[in-house]
Amino acid sequence: MRLELRDISKQFPGVLANDRISISADKGQVLGLLGENGAGKTTLMNILSGLYRPDSGEILIDGETRVFHDPAEAIRAGVGMVHQHFMLVPVFDVVEAVALGAETVSGPLGTFNRAAARARIVELSAQYGLNVDPDDKIESLPVGVRQRVEILKALYRHSDILVLDEPSAVLTPLETEELFGIIRSLTAGGTTVIFITHKLNEVLEVADKIVVLRRGRVAGTAVPAETTRQALANMMVGRDVELIVPKGPANPGEVVLRLKGLQVRDDRLEMAVDGVDLEVRAGEIVAIAGVQGNGQTELVEAIVGLRAIDSGEMSIGDTRIEHASPRQISDLGVAHIPEDRGRDGLINAMTVAENYILDSYHRPPYSRRGVFDLAAVAARATQGVKDFDIRTPSIETVAASLSGGNQQKVVVAREFSRPVRLVVAAQPTRGLDVGSIEYIHRRIVEQRDQGAAILIISTELDEVLAVGDRIAVMYEGRIVGILAGESATLEAVGLLMGGAEFGGAAA
Amino acid sequence: MNRLQSLARRSLLPILAVVTALLLGAVVIVITDFENLSKLGSDPIAALGGALAGVGRGYGAMLSGAFGDPGRIVTALQSGNEKDIATAIRPLTETLVASTPLIFTGLAVAISFRAGMFNIGGDGQLIVGALGATTTAIALQGVAPAAVILVAAIVVGTIFGGAWGFVPGFLKARTGAHEVITTIMLNYIAAQVVLFALRGDFLRQPGGGQPISKVMTTFVDVPGILPLPGIRLDFGFVVALVMAVVASFFLFRTTKGFELRSAGFNLTAARYAGMSAGGSIMLAMFLSGALAGMGGSFMVIGTVGQLSNDLSGGIGFNAIALALLAGLRPTGVVLAALLFGALTTGGKLMGIQSGIPFDLLFFIQALVIMFVAAPGLVRTIYRIKPPKPEAEVAA
Amino acid sequence: MTAAAVIAHPEGLAARRALRAARIRGVVFAALGLISFYFAASALETAALFSFWIDKQGGQSAQLQTSVGALWIVAGVASGVVGILQLVRGAAFPWRRWLFIVFPPYIAVTIAALLNGTAANLTGVISGSLVLAAPITLGALAGILSERSGMLNIALEGKMLAGACVASIVASVVLNTFNVSPSDPGYGTAALVGAMAGIAAAMLTGALMGLLLAWLGIRHKVDQIIAGTVINIGAVGITNFLFLRVLGRNTELNTPPTIEPLRLPLLADIPVLGPIFFSTKPYVYVAIIFVIILTYLLFRTRWGLRLRASGEKPAAAGTVGINVLAIRYRALLLAGLLAGLAGSYLSLSAAGSFQMGMSAGKGFIALAAMIFGAWHPIGALGAALVFGFADQAQSLLSILGVQVPPQLLNSVPYIVTIIVVAGVVGRVRGPASAGMPYEQG
Repeated sequence: MRLELRDISKQFPGVLANDRISISADKGQVLGLLGENGAGKTTLMNILSGLYRPDSGEILIDGETRVFHDPAEAIRAGVGMVHQHFMLVPVFDVVEAVALGAETVSGPLGTFNRAAARARIVELSAQYGLNVDPDDKIESLPVGVRQRVEILKALYRHSDILVLDEPSAVLTPLETEELFGIIRSLTAGGTTVIFITHKLNEVLEVADKIVVLRRGRVAGTAVPAETTRQALANMMVGRDVELIVPKGPANPGEVVLRLKGLQVRDDRLEMAVDGVDLEVRAGEIVAIAGVQGNGQTELVEAIVGLRAIDSGEMSIGDTRIEHASPRQISDLGVAHIPEDRGRDGLINAMTVAENYILDSYHRPPYSRRGVFDLAAVAARATQGVKDFDIRTPSIETVAASLSGGNQQKVVVAREFSRPVRLVVAAQPTRGLDVGSIEYIHRRIVEQRDQGAAILIISTELDEVLAVGDRIAVMYEGRIVGILAGESATLEAVGLLMGGAEFGGAAA
Repeated sequence: MNRLQSLARRSLLPILAVVTALLLGAVVIVITDFENLSKLGSDPIAALGGALAGVGRGYGAMLSGAFGDPGRIVTALQSGNEKDIATAIRPLTETLVASTPLIFTGLAVAISFRAGMFNIGGDGQLIVGALGATTTAIALQGVAPAAVILVAAIVVGTIFGGAWGFVPGFLKARTGAHEVITTIMLNYIAAQVVLFALRGDFLRQPGGGQPISKVMTTFVDVPGILPLPGIRLDFGFVVALVMAVVASFFLFRTTKGFELRSAGFNLTAARYAGMSAGGSIMLAMFLSGALAGMGGSFMVIGTVGQLSNDLSGGIGFNAIALALLAGLRPTGVVLAALLFGALTTGGKLMGIQSGIPFDLLFFIQALVIMFVAAPGLVRTIYRIKPPKPEAEVAA
Repeated sequence: MTAAAVIAHPEGLAARRALRAARIRGVVFAALGLISFYFAASALETAALFSFWIDKQGGQSAQLQTSVGALWIVAGVASGVVGILQLVRGAAFPWRRWLFIVFPPYIAVTIAALLNGTAANLTGVISGSLVLAAPITLGALAGILSERSGMLNIALEGKMLAGACVASIVASVVLNTFNVSPSDPGYGTAALVGAMAGIAAAMLTGALMGLLLAWLGIRHKVDQIIAGTVINIGAVGITNFLFLRVLGRNTELNTPPTIEPLRLPLLADIPVLGPIFFSTKPYVYVAIIFVIILTYLLFRTRWGLRLRASGEKPAAAGTVGINVLAIRYRALLLAGLLAGLAGSYLSLSAAGSFQMGMSAGKGFIALAAMIFGAWHPIGALGAALVFGFADQAQSLLSILGVQVPPQLLNSVPYIVTIIVVAGVVGRVRGPASAGMPYEQG
């Protein structure tokens, strides 16, 4: 079936997620939807699958306008969605998980006709080469197979339009290749596929047509045969906002953070960080670029002591920290600006003052022998609020009522309130306004100039290029290249992030 | 001014919750007043009037049962007659007596809830603490001087309660066992343990198979505050107030209290800040149990004077209601406990004078929790606009 | 895919852990078996004398004569076999259902050892356990329904209590309207109608309370534990209040018809088994029927599939267009019906009238049975039988003068539950999303 989205707009509080986006795909085509995190891809697909309703614009299927009030209507219209986070009940077996919501029943009690469902799953699995055992339990299946179960789910519902949201984010390269094979057999059967990704290689390999989204708008359209990675990267990242961080040249001193052959597993026990070697020196900013989910989160958690490592060496100065606790690592002078400040960096229900001392509450001058010196806490917090220009009615205001930028300033102010040798900042400016972004970058550079080693992890290419003295690109758990900041180009970093080979890039 | 305003804003919801619950209690009184309602067909006005008068009598009795008669108190104080004074102020002191274990257990609930632990085990911790105190006191009878027995009994009772509270904390931190299930189960086990302990002659009151311990006031007693006949109010109440101050200091002025609150609000952020979340949970549950156990100890050594298996009478559940009402603040707990203490003593007089059973108060308490936990309900009833989002309570 | 392949996969660390737990379990079972043989050696001389009524209480009895040692051997073999099976089959072994085979011989040997040669008639104990297990099973089924849908239900206690109260009042009132005395010929019918009305009213009460719980938890996002506590305290308050204010003075409102044992035609005449299973209280039949129905509904029907999905991963259900919140409301409604039914047992069948606080923790024991039974109706029935037996055994033992503190037996359900939730003997896993509010777009 032919799918067309016309002038779709969707406003969320404070952000225009989709701004008059129009895309279309013909029957049997693969439409690659390319864009960075936050470009509006997922919002668009949630509109298509009936989870959100657009503020304006229309959805046409085979030329006919359709309005989806809930996912069930979208499913009935033939739109099948494979979510990035799988929507499968872990304790179900494949038959149950696939049939859920589309069961055929018989008898007065509504007995689930398992045999029929199973037969159909076996048939579909064979037809599209999915190779799924219908009797396996979901939770025992590897991620790649789970994804095929998700695809089965859509096929089972006779979906003619299949939306795959970042399908390769969780797959190994081999599994990704298998997925492409499946997509080809689907389109051969007449299914229209929308493939959402931020990996350049993938759209080039699998898409018939590519639409690039940037900041909620269509940034460009291309056909794989007539475009290049560079062109796509330019479109995806854009050059409309130049981030400039005023900073002088770095004066790298001794090595502060040293990682050697570091291996770390993620929550699913897969190797997320797979042999990282990295050194960060005093007085320099190393920025780690990479698409989300390539092991950055696990790397940071390992460095700050929140995640046990599998193997390898980690040290700060001369101190080995492979088995150190978060508190011990913090005591070595490590400041940590976590990725998800709302969840990990702040306690929303506590006051600004309390959040300001969250990780040094046990040290003088804040407390002595386990008892707080509230005057000292208030004085320091007030000073921090002043120094970092945190807009808050008072230090007794709860953190939840501050704006995102001011919340992040509380975190940064706290982390920089004590002597710092190493700063680990994960997505330090995500979701902030331009003013706050500049401010936080300035503060980080200030720390560098005072002799701290800085490790920034960011998925924003602009940010990486603007602040990094050296830029390391992480892909699938490895550092695939390290570039000098001044000579790094958007294209070069973008290519590495997309998994392109880059010969002899180590700096 | 700002503080006053915020205090007023914070108090509005609890006050409305209590008022609404009392009103609904009145409705229940009216619709169960069969004698008056049976006249509804013949003389509806008299019937309703009679029923409403019944409510008035009941709540009136509750009021005077809780606070006494001011006029009489003044007259008695002027007369200077000890016996008259004692009789006149007795309702007031009984209110304080009833409040005492409520303060202890309310603080216990507040501390555990602050750490994110739904400690429903206040009853069990209280009674195990009381058992510890009773056993210690009877074991030391005639061996040690009364003052030593007193201190030893309270200390042992507190530790017993703490240990009983520590178990679910430990299980939660180490195995993830849900504290609601374990504390409920430990409540029932505690009741069985106490029954078992009261089987033997060592603790049991001689003569009669009732599961009641010997009376201990003959050889050990918490000193009374007022040297008047028939006044039970003792220094247990003062200790309860001191514990409220200590709990407040602990929660808001010490690093351990800070860790505990952090764990309750946001476990991952606490972990990120280098705190030991499991340690906070175990500490909170130990302290929670210890406070409940101390409350039980002061009951058996002081105001009640002996251990029985129904010593608690649901105090652990009252404590949940009042701690939520208090917004988990120690000062609020004291105020709410005084209110609930007044309801308890007043409710008893209501039962005697107007025939409205005391147990209505449990129903009213349930309504109070419901309204406090679902502020939307109260706001809908009184058409109050919701305040700006401000997370206040861990629960 | 073979089990070995799953374990070899890098994702299989969880599977490895499960395998280790399985090995430990296997060794424990096997060791228990060996120890049993050790005990058997010294107890072969001690007689174990059990008897069962053949057709009715006090009639002829069938004797079962063996020795304690022989029972130890049976228990040892059962335990050893399960242990070996566990070791051979690994993590995939469904050990929990084999407990049905391991438990009974151990219970028998424990009783025999305690009796130490004295004869005992077990018909009463077993049928008594069944009767005591009935309301616990019904309550546990209510718990299973709600938790499988994603709603915690600690309000079972309150629902049972309120159900008991309402059942007694309504049954009494309906019986009174017939104006018959027990000696009148029409009394049987009147009593039946009254009892049925009482049961219906109790179920309705439970259902309304279930809806209140759902409404507080879903609409007002009250923590489901606090909402349950509200209902429990409120039920105690209102039923005590009614008892003291209304029922105390109007005893005619609290003299309901009682539900007596019902002999099932033909089946009740089976020797030995008839008196145990087929001439017992109707609640036993109803509970067993509901266990079967609910097992079927949960695991074989569309309704059950969707209910379980709501409790395990509501987002997965929501994205395929299933109305998760409606499922939860309906589940709590049905759970309320069952809890009310369980409550009606207390006043109409066990006590013959409503008494204050007569649920006496049965709702929480039902919760314990639900957990111990791993959120499965049949498991819950098994757990309820164990708990019911612990309760019955004490009367048996006290009659025979065996010294076991009743408090210890009374504590069995609670201790077992703590051990189970702490995962000491292989963790049971409840519905993953129970207790978590679900935002429906």
